[in-house]
Amino acid sequence: MSGLLGTMSIALSALGTEQGALEVTSNNVANLNTAGYSRQQPVIEESDPVVLGSLTLGTGVTLAKVQSVRDPILQLRIQEETQQQGSLNASVTSMQQAQVLFNSSSGGDIGSQISNFFSSLSQLSTDPTNVSLRQGVLTAAANLAGSFNTTANTLTEQRSSVDLEVSQAVQQVNTLTGQIAQINGQISDLQNIGQDASAFVDQRDVLIGQLSNLIDVSQIQSDHTLTLTTSNGTALVAGQQAFTLTTQPDSSGVQHIYAQGQDITSQLTSGELGGLIQVRDQKIPGILTSLDTLAAGLSNALNTANQAGFDLNGNPGGDLFVAPPASGQGAASSMAVAITDPTLIAASSDGTPGSNGNVAVLSAVHDQPAIAGQTPTDYYANLVFGVGSDVSNGTAELASTQLTLQQLQDQRGSISGVSLDEEASNLIQYQNAYQAAARVVDTVSQMFTTLVNMGAS
Amino acid sequence: MTAIRINPYPIPDLLSALAQSQQQQQTDLLQLATGRKINQPSDDPAGAAQLVQNLDQQSQADSFQRSMSSVNGQLSTADSTLNSVTTALQRAISLGTEGANGTLSDSDRASVATEVQGIQAQLISLANTAYQGSYVFSGTAQVQPFVADSSQPSGVRYDGNTGVNQVAIGNGYSLAVNVPGSQIFAAPGSDVFQSINDLITALQTNSNIGGAVNEVDTAYNYVTQQRVFYGNGMNQITDQQNNLNTETVNLSSQENTIAGADLSTVISNLVNSQTARQATLQAIGQTTQLNLFNFLPPA
Repeated sequence: MSGLLGTMSIALSALGTEQGALEVTSNNVANLNTAGYSRQQPVIEESDPVVLGSLTLGTGVTLAKVQSVRDPILQLRIQEETQQQGSLNASVTSMQQAQVLFNSSSGGDIGSQISNFFSSLSQLSTDPTNVSLRQGVLTAAANLAGSFNTTANTLTEQRSSVDLEVSQAVQQVNTLTGQIAQINGQISDLQNIGQDASAFVDQRDVLIGQLSNLIDVSQIQSDHTLTLTTSNGTALVAGQQAFTLTTQPDSSGVQHIYAQGQDITSQLTSGELGGLIQVRDQKIPGILTSLDTLAAGLSNALNTANQAGFDLNGNPGGDLFVAPPASGQGAASSMAVAITDPTLIAASSDGTPGSNGNVAVLSAVHDQPAIAGQTPTDYYANLVFGVGSDVSNGTAELASTQLTLQQLQDQRGSISGVSLDEEASNLIQYQNAYQAAARVVDTVSQMFTTLVNMGAS
Repeated sequence: MTAIRINPYPIPDLLSALAQSQQQQQTDLLQLATGRKINQPSDDPAGAAQLVQNLDQQSQADSFQRSMSSVNGQLSTADSTLNSVTTALQRAISLGTEGANGTLSDSDRASVATEVQGIQAQLISLANTAYQGSYVFSGTAQVQPFVADSSQPSGVRYDGNTGVNQVAIGNGYSLAVNVPGSQIFAAPGSDVFQSINDLITALQTNSNIGGAVNEVDTAYNYVTQQRVFYGNGMNQITDQQNNLNTETVNLSSQENTIAGADLSTVISNLVNSQTARQATLQAIGQTTQLNLFNFLPPA
């Protein structure tokens, strides 16, 4: 009798197992479009055999566990690449806006205005007493100063805008670390009772992915606790505790990021925050410094040249441009013409009103290597090259990173992605096994009936 | 058995390929619209830097051309003024020769002297010629260069100076654009006004008219020779204008090489990318259709 009952229970174990396996398949299919979902596999194991007399008999099958298929190393690589992408994306997007200011096709850029100014001097040299030609020089000078002002001020505005993005990114980081800490709690609750927390682990991976886009993240997994830090060791999440980041403006009004009281701004190297901070604190200030150098250099050289001559009234020439700040900082945004009276342009080299001798001295500034050893136009051309290659290199790196990321995602898909073909074929398999086991139950049931009816008349 | 699994989601890859091709299309369309392949520095950083230099050089060439037009006007005005001066001096010479004729009566000679006085006034006026509001022969002073002054032996006082202006007409190439009036009209030994004044006096006093006529003749030759300066200047300008015309063409062609879009390549790229886009869209449409679930037997 125990033989038949044993057989029945084996068949029943099969029914239960195949039904459980079917549930796993159903869950996979249901989560086909869930972001970050890792497909699950039923782990079906033979039950331990029993020894009955001289026979060792199997006792059926169990659904030992449901295992999610994921590659944690691959996940780490994806997150590293995501940080890189976030940083490059932020950097390239911001600098693409900045480089618009250095486009020569509009004719209003600094390079064109430098050319126009020296052209106006050239005109003046043919008729130095002509007041409208003199006014032409002042107008060209004002346009030149204006182009410096506009460029510097626009860059400063862009920097403020990036600063705002930094604040917003920090808020997003805090939201995410809060969510991750909470999920850590849910994961460790399940893992502590030996259960599989793969659904939450998948969700956490998605959150960590979003976090990686924003900031550089390192993971340390110990027992059932996950600790997240920045690449430089500042804690972001430790188990169920999230460490919020705060922002405070420094003396120049720019936001610095603090973690537990320490200023970590310059230590963030990757993610969107890393990229934004680099743009805000290094790239844009670098361009502004170059502009200041050029503006101050031009102003000083032209002032010196004007002072070497005599104006239309026979007096020694003064400053053409307002003297730039001694430190040079802010020279571009504050560059301005110092005179409004066209007769004050010192065209004469000897005090006679009709002499144009000093115009040559003013014009010579065009070819003087007075700006960090370069002529004004050369210096500007190099600046344009610098800005352009920053964007072009960044764009190339971004494209390459995106390609790598895509390949890694493809790899992840090939490991963890749900394949409908596979699930369908599993469905058929489990269904067949279920049907077969059901037939066994049927047969055993009939055999019971036969047994029970033995000896009945 | 471990089968090799492939990524079951090809759509993201296809979509990203679509996005890339769209971005390339936008770049191509912009090149088509602007006719330039450098629309921002990052399109070609080295090219953008070269473009800055090229545009500046073109601006310089334009400036030189404009300067030369202006200077040419000044030189040509001065030259034609001196032409009138020599004509007037020739007239004075023939008047003087006429006045030297011994058969002339005193009153006739006085009439000749008056005519020469008229020429003297004309010469002063010519010497004070202005071009676009500036005196041509005053050096770098801004005052009327020649003023009638009876206290002077030549009857005329030079109030200008000896300044000479140079104007750049090329890189490192400058041209002197004026000759001081004192050099042309009041040169010692060939003083135009002195000689005319002497002729007037000679006619009025009927003494040494022949000598005075020789003086005027010397002055006439001298002024003729002075005109060479202006002729040379205008020739140099013509040559330099031709040089700069060639240079402008070169610079313009260089600009096109650096920044001009290769329209035929751009257009063929656009056509190709349109074809590729259609193919990709079709592929996306097809790949989502079939999986094994479609083939399961109905329940």
